[in-house]
Amino acid sequence: MGTAAPALTIALCAVAAVAHADPCTGTTDAGARFATCFDPGNRLVLDAATSGFGGGIAIRHDITFEDEPDLIWKMSHELANAEWAPLDNNRFDGLLYRGIYVRHSRDGHVVLPTDPPKKIFLPFDIGALVEVGRLETHSPTSATLGIVETAALVDLARSRSARWRAAIGPSASWRVELDRMPLAISDHAIAPFSSLLVDLHGESDDGLWIGEARGEAGYFWHLDRGWLVEERAEASLERVVLAIDDRPVALYAAVRYESAYAETIAGLGVRFAVFDRADPRVSLHPPQ
Amino acid sequence: MKSVYAALAAIGIALPAISRADPPLPPMMDPDRPVHCGRDRAGDTWRMQCDDAKKLCLYAPDSELDADGNRVRPLEQVRDCAENDGFDRAAYEKAGYQFIPGRPDAPWGWSRDERGRVFQVNFDLHRRMYFGVGYSPQKIIENPLESTRSTVDFGLLVLDIYDPGPEPTRHRIRLLEGEVALQPFSAEVTLAHYDMSHRFMDPLLRITTFVGEPERHDLHLDLGMFTEAGGLELRQTSYGDTELWKHATAQVTMDLWQSANLESFVRLRTGGILEGQYDPVNGYRSALTESTALDIDAVLDPAGFHNVRFELAHELPRYFTPYAPNVLVQRMHAKLQYETIVLAINDQPLSLHVAAGGEKRNDIPGVPDQWAFVVDAGLRFSLWAPPRPR
Repeated sequence: MGTAAPALTIALCAVAAVAHADPCTGTTDAGARFATCFDPGNRLVLDAATSGFGGGIAIRHDITFEDEPDLIWKMSHELANAEWAPLDNNRFDGLLYRGIYVRHSRDGHVVLPTDPPKKIFLPFDIGALVEVGRLETHSPTSATLGIVETAALVDLARSRSARWRAAIGPSASWRVELDRMPLAISDHAIAPFSSLLVDLHGESDDGLWIGEARGEAGYFWHLDRGWLVEERAEASLERVVLAIDDRPVALYAAVRYESAYAETIAGLGVRFAVFDRADPRVSLHPPQ
Repeated sequence: MKSVYAALAAIGIALPAISRADPPLPPMMDPDRPVHCGRDRAGDTWRMQCDDAKKLCLYAPDSELDADGNRVRPLEQVRDCAENDGFDRAAYEKAGYQFIPGRPDAPWGWSRDERGRVFQVNFDLHRRMYFGVGYSPQKIIENPLESTRSTVDFGLLVLDIYDPGPEPTRHRIRLLEGEVALQPFSAEVTLAHYDMSHRFMDPLLRITTFVGEPERHDLHLDLGMFTEAGGLELRQTSYGDTELWKHATAQVTMDLWQSANLESFVRLRTGGILEGQYDPVNGYRSALTESTALDIDAVLDPAGFHNVRFELAHELPRYFTPYAPNVLVQRMHAKLQYETIVLAINDQPLSLHVAAGGEKRNDIPGVPDQWAFVVDAGLRFSLWAPPRPR
């Protein structure tokens, strides 16, 4: 037993040294392990920012097929995203659901239904954006309810990972303008694939940096005013600066512009991950 | 804009020309029959499949080829085939089998081009997410984007679940499906829909005729159900905007005809709707509505390229508070739609749909009590749409 203890210590030191070389697992001098990589696509966050308080749920996963190893559906979901600004007329921005589905295949192509069918190759992935239930208040008397928005996307990034996306495509949407007192619909705004949406997303490999930008511009038909050109853009940049119990805390900056309401909202804040999925590359428990 | 039309015309002219210039494709291996693999003297692997009846064997490279015929990468969606499984090409040739070039096999619903690249050629439009845009013929020529007769349609989830067996059942689920039209503005959205078809093995009645040879005639009653929740219709009238909230719909269905897998059907359905209606003249009023409809849903070809839907519906609202007491308040509408796949982008179909419909109703002040007809056409992009089950 007297020789077993030093041997065990030596073995543990050797394992710790190996873990230190792991790019996603850090080790303290005392041998304790901690995560250095994060998965920002799967988490529940709470935000505190100059623009208000909020939070939301993000879920990201792949759908793969045994008989088609070169095909992946990259599925990104955002649920119950909300921001409340008590110091800005109790402004509330909420989104019930947004899904971005990208079909990544080894080769992109178009099939023409000739006899026999003909295949023409294209250098992009395809996908779609679906947004349901966006609520934005603009003043104590007016609000906007986005009922549905959908876009057909081509993803020029063609990344196998959901960490990178450079998508563009026509979008269709239907939103209603609301009078809040009393609650009544004052206008409908519809874009029948007459606007163009650009969606950019990028993350560093360790998940410490996250950048997003989304822009949309085009013709929107209004019930009373006819066709109007409208633009909307939003961008955010997030940097994880520390982690508490291996749950990341990030500083972020976000800005949003909507021409329909001549509205620009910007904020700096802190984002706390209340729950998150551990990055699979992180190994917090040394092998026994 | 002229340049766009010129480009479209050029594409339209060029594609048939390309098609005509293409040589015929070699035959494709049968996905249901065994495939043998073997190496040639250069070490390249070949796939082979023989037809004993025709004494014909197809052979194809076990790789995708580039435009120059060089092997570039492994085949996608291909069955494993073992080498050295006893297949003796020389013995087959000695037995009189002829070896000719072919294309590797592909799974059901898929095909391959001459280079072995795989693509989907069979689509199930009853399993998809879709969104589309449509136009009625009247439009602004100078700027098509500003057409006042545009429509947007969408379906967040279209899902048929088939439960086979001696008494098969098909469940149909639809989430957030609807259509929004511009001028005149109208919108129809249904949050959730579920209906079910079933085939009963035991007939409701057995009728035996005794004129001539006795013969038995079975009368089946294939009952099912049709439910919806969260329906909304918005409409613009001369008095202002009207709303019709169909909170819940419950109907009994009777299939007059069913295809073997219940995918296509002709059916009657009848039941009730709990609804609330708002218009600027009468305010909000609730109703219990008797509704009856004839539905036809048919997939016309095995590959799922041609789809027809028809609906003829009649609704009789019974308002809880009196409304137009001397008039039979009713709604009637009919719609015939044909949808066909015109191409697929990364195996996701783009379809063309044309529809004709009519409506007559007297439940909304400001809407003339006469038939109004509309014809429109548009494109739909669908995601998922896997091959139809065999």
